[in-house]
Amino acid sequence: MDHPLVRSEGVTETLTAPPSAPSSWERFESLYRSSRDDVYAYVMTLLRDPSAAEDVTALAFERAYRRRRTFDRRRGEERAWLFGIARNAALDELRRRRRVAALVTEPSDEVLADDDDEAEVALRRTALQAALAQLPAREREIVALKFHAGLSNAELARVLGISESNAGTLLYRTMEKLRKACNATA
Amino acid sequence: MRLLDHDEPIDPEVAASLDAIDAVLAGEPVDARHAELAEIALLLSCDRPVAAPEFAASMDEQVERRFAPAPGPEALPAARRQRKRSGFWQAGGALAAAVALIVAIVVVAGGHSGSSMSSGSYSSLAAPATGASGAAGANTRSAASPSGASGASKAAPAEIPPTASTSASSVAPALAPPTTGRKVVQSAQLSLSAAPNRVDDVAQQVYDTVGALNGIVESSTVTQTGGPGGYAQFQLSVPSASLGLAMTRLSSLNYAQVVSRTDSSQDITDTYNAAQRALADARALRTSLLKQLANATTTEQINSLNAQIHDAEASISSDQATLNRLNHQVSFSQLALEVNARSVPAPVSHGSGGFGIGHALHVAGRVLTVAAAVSLIALAALVPIALLAALVWWVGSALRRRRREQALDAA
Repeated sequence: MDHPLVRSEGVTETLTAPPSAPSSWERFESLYRSSRDDVYAYVMTLLRDPSAAEDVTALAFERAYRRRRTFDRRRGEERAWLFGIARNAALDELRRRRRVAALVTEPSDEVLADDDDEAEVALRRTALQAALAQLPAREREIVALKFHAGLSNAELARVLGISESNAGTLLYRTMEKLRKACNATA
Repeated sequence: MRLLDHDEPIDPEVAASLDAIDAVLAGEPVDARHAELAEIALLLSCDRPVAAPEFAASMDEQVERRFAPAPGPEALPAARRQRKRSGFWQAGGALAAAVALIVAIVVVAGGHSGSSMSSGSYSSLAAPATGASGAAGANTRSAASPSGASGASKAAPAEIPPTASTSASSVAPALAPPTTGRKVVQSAQLSLSAAPNRVDDVAQQVYDTVGALNGIVESSTVTQTGGPGGYAQFQLSVPSASLGLAMTRLSSLNYAQVVSRTDSSQDITDTYNAAQRALADARALRTSLLKQLANATTTEQINSLNAQIHDAEASISSDQATLNRLNHQVSFSQLALEVNARSVPAPVSHGSGGFGIGHALHVAGRVLTVAAAVSLIALAALVPIALLAALVWWVGSALRRRRREQALDAA
């Protein structure tokens, strides 16, 4: 299994450090460039509605832009802060719409069109997607934060407001659930 | 699933699995016993949703213009909601501040107007005009303590709290005792207060007022010490017809407030008539004596009549002087006026008083004092509002957090 990791394609991060401390706008722009696709992926996994995910992603970045001067680095990394904003926006959307639960996760076009994958891998991916769809939203959120948004366990804990060890434990339990579900399907 | 709300030591097996997940995500090899977990992690990573290129371009554009409103109808509804919500909170804060300021102003203005109202109330009670009954009598009116006693009396001046600004409209109208066919002597006493540095100004206004009414300043004493000991005393004589006007004008002088005012009247008709009769009798007597003198034949008779005529003429002169004095008393009223400096500085009044540096400093001090008072009261009003707002915000945040978690559980 040597699937390439997919991370925020089409965007570039500023690698050259400016001579002076970057302004709040520059920091925000850098954060946007590095996190746009991750935020979308996380929100999409949570909401399972592309249109809503786009709205929420845009709203999250707008909120982050407006509050960028209030960000306190001592309270955590910028990515965790950004995902906290995105999480609140997504949950507000969930509250507002109350119809996410009725949505059924559909296999992505990417999977269906991926004819090059070996049959066994394709089967396992399908089984995994089905298992993921069966997870409660809270566990699905952990998967999204970890594997779709690419947060570290510490950042994940920060976003969820729990300790890092608890976050790790929750992640482990979720992964075990997925593993058992995949094995049961197989 | 319930979130773990307490920190607990992580299980070594769990830690190893988490390390394996992190390792495979970083492209590093993992132990074979974690191969299954690593495969799931890789599959999950590969299956991350990807944003549509149109959305990515739209986001780039929004960020490029720093989330300014789009020229067209492209603005996201959620963004609009966000702006509306922040506007609501800003409006709420501004409203709270405005309410606090209004409360402060109302409190300050209320306190001011309360003292002004109490000090500005000026009621006069007129005593019954006993002079109109025909018998010689006196009528004394005091601004604060009416006295109906007959006879020439002097009312004790009653203290009236100084007004912030005494206008003509707040001055009681001057008494006008019934004088039809009667000879009435009127007099008045007026006590004013003024700022220590305004005694001279007030005194000059007294002179001007009396002069304008063709009155006479019979005597005056003006002492300005610059402190509370300054005073001025006037003995004025003004035409009785102008007494009411004089009292009105003197009661509304700039920089001065009425402390007390006493109006007195005394009917002297009988005295006047008696003097007239005595004069007529004396004149008749002299006429008779002159006739007798014309018919006198002896030196003794002539000497005797001359002596009587001399006495009659003396009596005529005396009676005439009495009549003239009574007429003057009726025509000109006596007005005793005093101005005392008070310790409290007088506020700026209408008129053309000078506006110097000292006065400006005084006004500036007053303004700063009032501003500080308003700020203090506004703060006092704002603190509970802020506490209440903080409580509401805290409860709202907790509820919102709870509802968000509930929404996640329900999804």
